[in-house]
Amino acid sequence: MITNPIFSSYQNNTALFDEIFDKNHKVRPTYQKILDLYKDHSIQDFAALNEKAKASFFNQGITFQVYSDEKAQEKIFPFDLFPRIIEAKEWETIESGVLQRCRALNKFLWDIYHNRNIIRDGVVPIELINSSGNYLKDMMNFTPPNKIYNHISGTDLIKHSDGKYYVLEDNIRCPSGVSYVVGNRNALKRALFGVFNHYEIHNVTDYSENLLEMLESVKPQNVDSPTCVILTPGVYNSAYYEHQFLAKTSGIELVEGRDLFVENDFVYMKTIYGPKRVDVIYRRIDDDFIDPDVFNKDSVLGVKGLFSAYINGNVTLANAPGTGVADDKAIYTYMPEIIRYYLKEEPILNNVHTYHCSKPDDLKYILENIDKLVIKPVDEAGGYGISIGSKLTKDEIEKVKIVIKENPRKYIAQPIMSLSVHATYIEDSSSFEQRHVDLRTYTLLGQDQEFVLKGGLTRVALKKGNLIVNSSQGGGSKDTWVLKK
Amino acid sequence: MLARVANDLFWMGRYIERAEHTARFLNVNYFSSLDAPNILSQSRPFVLNSIYGMVDDRVEDESTLVEEEVLYNVGLNPDKLYSILSCIKIARQNASNARDLISTEFYEAINKFYHFVMNYPKDRFVKNGLYDFTTSVTENTAILRGKIRGTLLHNDIFALIMLGINIERATQITRIIQTKLFDAKKAISSYSKPIRNSYEWTTLLKCAESYDMMRSLYRKSPAQLNTLNFLILNPNCPRSVMNSLNQTYFHICNIDASKVKTVNSAAFLIGKMRADYEFKTINEIQSNVGKFIDDTLKCLMNISSKLEEEYFNY
Repeated sequence: MITNPIFSSYQNNTALFDEIFDKNHKVRPTYQKILDLYKDHSIQDFAALNEKAKASFFNQGITFQVYSDEKAQEKIFPFDLFPRIIEAKEWETIESGVLQRCRALNKFLWDIYHNRNIIRDGVVPIELINSSGNYLKDMMNFTPPNKIYNHISGTDLIKHSDGKYYVLEDNIRCPSGVSYVVGNRNALKRALFGVFNHYEIHNVTDYSENLLEMLESVKPQNVDSPTCVILTPGVYNSAYYEHQFLAKTSGIELVEGRDLFVENDFVYMKTIYGPKRVDVIYRRIDDDFIDPDVFNKDSVLGVKGLFSAYINGNVTLANAPGTGVADDKAIYTYMPEIIRYYLKEEPILNNVHTYHCSKPDDLKYILENIDKLVIKPVDEAGGYGISIGSKLTKDEIEKVKIVIKENPRKYIAQPIMSLSVHATYIEDSSSFEQRHVDLRTYTLLGQDQEFVLKGGLTRVALKKGNLIVNSSQGGGSKDTWVLKK
Repeated sequence: MLARVANDLFWMGRYIERAEHTARFLNVNYFSSLDAPNILSQSRPFVLNSIYGMVDDRVEDESTLVEEEVLYNVGLNPDKLYSILSCIKIARQNASNARDLISTEFYEAINKFYHFVMNYPKDRFVKNGLYDFTTSVTENTAILRGKIRGTLLHNDIFALIMLGINIERATQITRIIQTKLFDAKKAISSYSKPIRNSYEWTTLLKCAESYDMMRSLYRKSPAQLNTLNFLILNPNCPRSVMNSLNQTYFHICNIDASKVKTVNSAAFLIGKMRADYEFKTINEIQSNVGKFIDDTLKCLMNISSKLEEEYFNY
């Protein structure tokens, strides 16, 4: 029985891994202090704090646009006031684990776009590369500055019912969300400042300075002090808040495609004092849209001639074009081998066992066991296109089977992982309830620089029983505390 | 700074200032008319048409005007570009486009203000919220100006916003003078005795938040000559056209101190207009105020399009 007053009605489903209460309904030691402090609050206090935090996000304009009934509406990302706490030792494993993956992915990308030793040695099948929609043959034999491809990575982890962390996805195209890590921390500090005195927590404000340092470190050759910019699709993009946040906090210019032009393979931005050369671009635009000359011809977001300037070494793009070939969910299944192959190390973080629809044996297993599996398209982000077998009707299962058989390369399947749950304040019931959470970490790779933000974004699936935490699918988030040693 | 963003900053300044003047004009005209000294100035159609005059939307036949409609159009109608709501909406959009360059504090202030205006109930506004709404708008624009002055580095970003604010202020003050001059002329014929129609001039000064300043300087009732002298030529009145031109010149020089003022460049035109004003007397203007006002508005428009051509061309 949970005795804490604000948790008196908390339903601790012991079949799930609850990060706060153990199977005997006892508070786990990490959370003991915070729960003691919460004793002074009533559930009404929480409701009031929750409202204040929401108003604060809204007034600050930490919002995104939703379009319905032809009218744009502004929404805040739902935010929960109960922080997730990660102990120092646990974090050490996470940090070294995600760094290891990012390093290995970087080496993998260089190899794929050069000698392809890993394919020749039979570790990764060539079909997976050639058939990947994100493989860019224009990148063959090109070496980006300092041999870095995935400057900015977001690694998604979950804590399984066995209490261990598993990597679900590596995002090395345009991972987003880091601004919410900082926003959530600020909101929590305002709402529950007293709590902070009782825990020693790593701060999360050093991301932007590390970002700038990283961008400057990968400048093109022959540039002394580089001009770095962030390239955004514009104010209507759902992540615009983040783009301007990163530009503002790292002190660099936020530009749109129409602010840039290319002349003689050099990139310039149009300022009030005339053209100014740009050396490093942190682009928040997908490969397909960066240059209408080479990629999507209809793109109005990109810059004509940008890719040519890049290939000629006159501008650095972060992340490099073509990284998507490595965060493909089919490549994901080979991550343990990829880590062993390049780093000669054992993987620190677990991979979820994955079945390939393209392998006949796996496909047979998948078709027979869909109800126990999650089916994912290999090249989609944002939680789109995912089918969770246990939630499908018989008809839907038959439909999924047809789709998979038609295009086996596009799908993988994984056992349904039970994401850990965390006490989350639910407005409808005015109480704390268990909700599934994951964790996105943020890693930067620069010249002689490796940085993992000590915090990360805990994403919450706000619908009861839901396993999909993506914000585009109605997920919320929590402040994430990494404790100091 | 990017030319596109410079354009946003400039227009943000203009729209904030425009919203303020429209709100104050609406407020002062409406409330001062309630106990105006003559029948015409009290008449609803006359006042409503004067309010439309400020936003350049006068109608031929005043008798057709419906009060709630006029107030709604000028205050909250999203389909009228001149409404206060539209001004704040555009200003906030401009601020969003330049969000990485302006301070967090300023953005939060304009964002809150935007939500206040967007959510203001229409019924309340046209029935009994006019005073509350328009004073809130003028207060909020004062907060915005405070945040601009106090939370932004006084560099080219600041200079561009101030350039917008001051060009708009000169324009709006001139337009308010134009509108009230029109009203005063009409009103004169409706007075029974030879007039000291200080009422219209008092209203004009209040529309420019300059009544107290004028009184403390002249120590007598406002009349046409001293009012116009004060609002157009007095360099110490922070709302005067002269003062706005001085500010405009100061800020254009700050944007690019080294820039040579080539003939007919924006900086040149601003300097020329300022110099012209500096050595003008009210007696010269008095003989043909109408033409002087038209010329002023033309000059200001010319300067604005020059700025666009030179700095915001992207």
